Amino acid sequence: MTEITTTAASDRPAAIRLTTRQREAIAGVLFVAPDAIGLMLFIGLPMLLALGISVFEVDGFGGFKFVGLANYSKMWIDPLFWSSLRVTAQFTVMLVPLLYVTGLGLALLVQRTSKFNTVMRSMFFAPQMVSLVVVALVWQLMVVDKLGVLTRFAASIGLGGISFLGDPNLALFTVTLAAVWFLMGFYMLIFLGGLQDIPKEYYEAARIDGAGATQSFWFITLPLLRPTSFFVLLVSAVAAITGAQAFDLIYVMTRGGPANSTALLISYIYQQAFQYSAFGYAAALATLLVVLLMAVTVFFFLLTRGGRFDYE
Amino acid sequence: MTTTSNMPSGWSRRSILKGGAALGAAGLTMPFMGKAFAQDNTLSFWQFYAPGGDVKPQVDWFVKMVADWNATQSEQVALEYVVGSEYIGGTKLATSFASGQGPDIFIISPGDFLRYYNGGVLQDLTPAIEEAARADFPESVIANRMVDGKIFGVPMEVEPMAFYYSVKAFEEAGLNENDVPTTWDQLLEVGKKLTTAERYGVLFETNPGYYQNFTWYPFMWQGGGEFQSAEGKSAFDSPATVQALKLWQDAVNSGAAPRQMLGGGGGDIVANLGSGYCAMQNVGIWGISAMDNNAPDVPYGIFKLPVPTGGKYVTVGGGWAFVANSKGKNPEAAAKFIAWALASMAPDSIQRVVDWCTVAKSDMPPRNSALTAGGDAFNKGNMGIFGTQIHPGTRAEPRVPPEVYKIISDAIQQTQLGGADPQATATAASQQLDAFLASYSGAPIL
Repeated sequence: MTEITTTAASDRPAAIRLTTRQREAIAGVLFVAPDAIGLMLFIGLPMLLALGISVFEVDGFGGFKFVGLANYSKMWIDPLFWSSLRVTAQFTVMLVPLLYVTGLGLALLVQRTSKFNTVMRSMFFAPQMVSLVVVALVWQLMVVDKLGVLTRFAASIGLGGISFLGDPNLALFTVTLAAVWFLMGFYMLIFLGGLQDIPKEYYEAARIDGAGATQSFWFITLPLLRPTSFFVLLVSAVAAITGAQAFDLIYVMTRGGPANSTALLISYIYQQAFQYSAFGYAAALATLLVVLLMAVTVFFFLLTRGGRFDYE
Repeated sequence: MTTTSNMPSGWSRRSILKGGAALGAAGLTMPFMGKAFAQDNTLSFWQFYAPGGDVKPQVDWFVKMVADWNATQSEQVALEYVVGSEYIGGTKLATSFASGQGPDIFIISPGDFLRYYNGGVLQDLTPAIEEAARADFPESVIANRMVDGKIFGVPMEVEPMAFYYSVKAFEEAGLNENDVPTTWDQLLEVGKKLTTAERYGVLFETNPGYYQNFTWYPFMWQGGGEFQSAEGKSAFDSPATVQALKLWQDAVNSGAAPRQMLGGGGGDIVANLGSGYCAMQNVGIWGISAMDNNAPDVPYGIFKLPVPTGGKYVTVGGGWAFVANSKGKNPEAAAKFIAWALASMAPDSIQRVVDWCTVAKSDMPPRNSALTAGGDAFNKGNMGIFGTQIHPGTRAEPRVPPEVYKIISDAIQQTQLGGADPQATATAASQQLDAFLASYSGAPIL
């Protein structure tokens, strides 16, 4: 019996003996692999292809012609590119602080656990459950000339004749408000998570020392929310620059008008690629957008020394 | 030692890994399998009407047409519905051609003709169309689908622009059909009279896009303006262009015209005129069926575009056309199908055009024979107004490359809504046009 067992065991290929550490390392790699492969296939590879396409003139019907950096130099003399870049910058400058303030403000309002606050949290988050197209249509109706609820309200306070989406000076601000209304519930949740991580003892100690609500906010809440603030500012800046949600809103609400006043860079890229079939130029613009995003991300990381904070 | 596991009995880590690998491999091969299955010879026909559209007469028309063809021909055709907004402004058509997977047959508007023609994907349909049928299409209708005497698209309709007015709004303002404006000055004057706290007097398209340009062209033409001269240079900087830009600007600045519209925009008559948002609206012939089907209780009238002082009446006629993909599976068969469907002298081909323009939609036919065969359908009632008063002054929608469209679009937007000076805007746009036209090398811009 013993002999047979020995023979069978010797027929098997020699097993590779791994240490626990090696096994854990392999397991780690295997766990990360699906995401890494997915990112490489669906993000990395298209980015590389776009970079490649950006040095060609592509007519959208199978015609490719190598043009070197011509698509990049074209940007410098393209007024619509500069216009869309300016609109994107304005949109980012308005959206990021507004999202930060509203997200944090709402989180502070509903942070205490109660049934009322639970309902309010759900209500503030509710817009996220709705299609952006529906959100855009609802806002369009609320601000339509003469008849919209907000237009009537504006008229009642002496701002008659106002056109929220038809006036180039107001259209971008109106779209930004719609974007804030849609996104603030999401950022509220992130801030709620950050607020819950702040130990209660800090507030109790501050109260004993005579600190009021304002002082507690400035000297405890805000400093200890720095990691959350970093995340919110970074993510909202990326969302604003890429026009992640704003693209749909603008497409439905203004189509980039009036007079290009809401035409973000992402809208211009879309227009060049899918309406003009200028895929090469669109790829060059998209590459520049990625460079911009990387610059913003690097700026944030430099500002926080790699996202590290003093008290960590 | 007892080993506990939360895996179902019979499952091992290895079997799960194997299964996962198999699923992954299957997933990777799916696109190729799909392509293999798609290797039949059925010609795909992309459009935004059928079989998934929500207007039954239009769905029926397309389905019957394809069924009739398939019943007698070996080369089969299959309808593929693409939602209108995706078809016109989305990515599906552009990406399908970019990847070499474009449809065999599809429909395009004049605004898109040069993009596809210059891209080399439009099949010459001339060999499939008999000479008598070719002559049946008026020059003003077919010219913008032709290059060097060859036909690359067969129009299915002509959609002239006009004005619609609300009878109720006119009555409320103490006006009647005799007060219908015939000049631009009257249009602005009547527009102001019809404007109330909750209603605009007159509505022009305000959203930027091909449609806005389309609706603006006749106002430029009426004063003798053109965007391009016979020599191929810009003619945009002209008094006629400036006054057309100024008309739309004055309408907005006077408060008679809105800066924003309801529903689907300036082409959506039900959401605007039908809802009482405006009293007069610049819309095409399709407004008849839209109002009759969706706002039957709203009385309305129709009048032709007013003209400027010293100007000449002209309107613009849009409409979609069947085209074939020259890089498709069987371009000759696709061309044959298009000729059979819309451009044959056979009675059923002519009747098909009549049915499309009278039953499925309310349009003017692109063929003389269909106009005759339609008889009273094009001579009585509201269609009669188009047939007898509006359509005779129709000029075909220009075909322009996207770059030209954008320059004109920006000029309209900057003056209408941005408050820019019409003369300065026309001059700047003209310089941009000249710069583009100097390097343009595609089919003639018409």
